[in-house]
Amino acid sequence: MNTFVQRFAESSATKQILAGNASVVEDDDFSDAAWGSEAGFGSLAKGVPSFMIPSVPDPASFLRLHTDDHADPSCRIKIQHGTTTLAFRFQGGVIVAVDSRATAGSYVASGTVKKVIEINPYLLGTMAGGAADCQYWETYLGMHCRLHELRNRERISVSAASKYLSNLVYSYKGMGLSMGTMICGWDKTGPAVFYVDSDGTRLKGDLFSVGSGSTFAYGVLDQGYRWDLTDAEAQELGRRSIYAAGHRDAFSGNTCNLYHVKENGWEFIGNYDITSLHYDGPGNVAGSPGHGYGYELRVEGHSASNPPPEVAQAITAEA
Amino acid sequence: MPDMAALAHPQQRQFNPYSENGGTILAIAGADFSVIAGDTRQSEGYSIQTRYAPKVFRLTDRAVLAVNGFAADGNMFVKKVKQRLEWYRHAHAKDMPLRAIARLIQTMLYARRFFPYYVYNILGGIEEDGTGAVYSFDPVGSYEREACRAAGAASSLVQPFLDNQIYFKNQRPAAGTSHPAHLPLPTVLSIVIDSFTSATERHIEVGDGLEMYVVLAKGRTLQGLEGIRGMQELTATEDGERVFIVRRDLKRD
Amino acid sequence: MPSASPFNGPGFDFTNQVRNAFILEKGIPLPKATSTGTTIVGCLFNGGVILGADTRATEGPIVADKNCEKIHYITESIRCCGAGTAADTEFTTASISSNMELHALSTGRQPRVVTAMTMLKQYLFRYQGHVGAALVLGGVDSTGSHLFTVAPHGSTDKLPYVTMGSGSLAAMAVFESYWKADMEREEAIALVTAAISAGIFNDLGSGSNVDVCVITAAHTEMLRNYSKPNERVEKERAYRFRPGTTAWKSEEIRKLVVSEQVTPIGGDAMDTD
Repeated sequence: MNTFVQRFAESSATKQILAGNASVVEDDDFSDAAWGSEAGFGSLAKGVPSFMIPSVPDPASFLRLHTDDHADPSCRIKIQHGTTTLAFRFQGGVIVAVDSRATAGSYVASGTVKKVIEINPYLLGTMAGGAADCQYWETYLGMHCRLHELRNRERISVSAASKYLSNLVYSYKGMGLSMGTMICGWDKTGPAVFYVDSDGTRLKGDLFSVGSGSTFAYGVLDQGYRWDLTDAEAQELGRRSIYAAGHRDAFSGNTCNLYHVKENGWEFIGNYDITSLHYDGPGNVAGSPGHGYGYELRVEGHSASNPPPEVAQAITAEA
Repeated sequence: MPDMAALAHPQQRQFNPYSENGGTILAIAGADFSVIAGDTRQSEGYSIQTRYAPKVFRLTDRAVLAVNGFAADGNMFVKKVKQRLEWYRHAHAKDMPLRAIARLIQTMLYARRFFPYYVYNILGGIEEDGTGAVYSFDPVGSYEREACRAAGAASSLVQPFLDNQIYFKNQRPAAGTSHPAHLPLPTVLSIVIDSFTSATERHIEVGDGLEMYVVLAKGRTLQGLEGIRGMQELTATEDGERVFIVRRDLKRD
Repeated sequence: MPSASPFNGPGFDFTNQVRNAFILEKGIPLPKATSTGTTIVGCLFNGGVILGADTRATEGPIVADKNCEKIHYITESIRCCGAGTAADTEFTTASISSNMELHALSTGRQPRVVTAMTMLKQYLFRYQGHVGAALVLGGVDSTGSHLFTVAPHGSTDKLPYVTMGSGSLAAMAVFESYWKADMEREEAIALVTAAISAGIFNDLGSGSNVDVCVITAAHTEMLRNYSKPNERVEKERAYRFRPGTTAWKSEEIRKLVVSEQVTPIGGDAMDTD
């Protein structure tokens, strides 16, 4: 009954949370509906799930005190940060490429994170900022996209999906959520990329890169980007850009995950080790340069046994 | 010298419901088994609160949860997960599958996004397809399936060791050979024991006792466990996955 | 505000003090010094004094040294246990040891424990606790057996049994329960060992082995690793790596042993048999 009243009494999720707090003093992050099969997200009929809030005058600053390792490196709860993600639209669809490193302070917490969230067969979301925020809300978005399909007998547009997410996180503005995501897909309008972040920004565009390594990725991306890139060229550009960020940004790296969104949905292209990209290149794949991205370029000509080509030629000519 | 000027001003005190109780947990997934382990020391500052506080818990016959961080939050969290699994049993007359437990843990942690449980969880067990699995979580619920994971006080000591011994990081295979995708159970147990004896030597918050849970896939023989001393079975149901516990002493200094 | 001095005067150099304070303010912490979060004790008995210490040195929660020595030499019959910042205890005791030797040479007498104690407290007081040495000083001189504690700010205590360091409460609990006046040597060694062991097992900052030092008028006996209750257990597996495990990009082999052929010219060839 309480949830019923709440659902219609409040409009803003923030208000709902604060009101909900009064009812969860005893317990509880779930109602008696959790008794049945509704474990997990529970019934969507309840609307946005409720969150427990600490009983302090300013919950947002409480959260910051205990989780913001930027302001206080000794804070107890380390939330994983640090990323390079990119997505761009081109003639052949959308390329989505991300790294796989999660850092907590200076510790590499994981090198195998899936930063592309497969919302449904036609929609991808990327993860930058709080890993849990992105995972949770993009999964939640996926459920609502399915509901949209059931209600309207057609797929949700990328625009509508991204706006749903944008409105959702905007209602928590100032509470400490942290996400910078790109919602990528193919709908009636063709390939589409939307940038959505936890400040409430929502931008439509052709090319985005998000995260601590984005500047490095943009450097490569901007010099190689054209609308009429072939599929192979576009995939190579995505891979090469993430490699550049993984190479120069300490908070990005390990591996690159590459996706290509086409008319019939997204396709996983591959996972590439950034160290291998540096020394050996991506291997036998479309668009591969056939050699390492970085190593030979840097060491060539630095020893007598490995002279640069023109010097080597001169030596042979002399002899 | 204390800063007298600073002391003259009113001092602000912050509400701090969190503490850190040390200890380390880890889990390794095999082809058809999973090993989940934790030490049993609980400490605060330089004091040992108890030498036996379990951090690893059997949830079902195919799922074991290890919890590390703030012990009070951890114990309450395990209690609530067990309650939800019990409700699931009543509603569906079966145990919740491992991947569903993983998602449940995500939503339960995320429900406290603005007042987090200060806990690092590692869930280990057997997936519905009979493979060994490990899921690791951050305090607010982001999770990932992995082959191995260490968390807690000595995680930065143990994880690089596991990366080297389980994932064979920085090890080039001999010409014409390749690294095995999965290690056999006796090898995994040895690596777990060595991880903890080493962490005990070099980290002051790790020690006293070691509890290792072994989950075997349905129909798997006990092959590889013959030489393991003091193994105890905890399985509740028949003809399904089986859970065992192995205990070892660690140094107490 | 101290400025860079044109002279290289003796003692500490404070030129980076202002810079470091600024860096600290910017939120970059100073590098962590190795500390001996420690259990150290001392106890009088009927023939002299016994000092005891554990052997763990820590850097934060990490064990930096599993078997370090915390009982430092002052003179032949005066020794000093150190707790706190490892570097400070080592250098303070070494410098006082040096001064005690000079003092002995200039006076022509065996130096007294009070002398060492006074030198230590005056030195530590001068630095207002910034030299982080917490000490247990014990020894035998012409006036008898003496046992002191010296706190980092320079205050001292003179007691028949003392403890210091992070394990001091655990060790003191043992002393308060079992200490009695005029113990025999073996009984006192056992008590000191029990007190240190209490620290080793109940205090996370202390660990590994027990060092004991027995000082009597006639003789000083340093019982290094008197008790080893925490021997390293054998690992389950051998971690040996095949040569060639580490990948490499280029290879260059140099002959480090140069072979030389010697041809004798004329005269008698040297007899090399």
